[in-house]
Amino acid sequence: MPFDPADRYRLSPRVGLRPEPFGALAYHYDTRRLVFLKSNDLVDLVRSLEDHDSAAAAIDALVDPSTGRRSTYLTALASLCESGVVEPMLESAA
Amino acid sequence: MTVTEPTTEQTTEAVEGQDQTTDELVTDDVLVEEISIDGMCGVY
Repeated sequence: MPFDPADRYRLSPRVGLRPEPFGALAYHYDTRRLVFLKSNDLVDLVRSLEDHDSAAAAIDALVDPSTGRRSTYLTALASLCESGVVEPMLESAA
Repeated sequence: MTVTEPTTEQTTEAVEGQDQTTDELVTDDVLVEEISIDGMCGVY
């Protein structure tokens, strides 16, 4: 499923996230892949995803728009989505 | 027992041909890097 910033995401429960000096090391228990998150801000963003209605809102809450780094974090989240580190939160039908 | 080297599928910016005047490329960083540990034993 392609990454859509308008959707709500979360850190996958199938992923272990270990803090590191450079950010964090994520291990996916299903795919057995290691993913380096090379920014502490990115780690904070990933952890905060499910607190926001959309990935875009999570980025806006964390990233100062004057830095021009919004697209960097969008790209990072898209990559993390592709690798399964973050996943969309499916709204349960009432 | 066969042990293979981890394969890097996404790397940081290419450094070939980079000189000391292109430090600004480092700030346009890649925040995510993924590797496979298939074939590595005793890591976990």
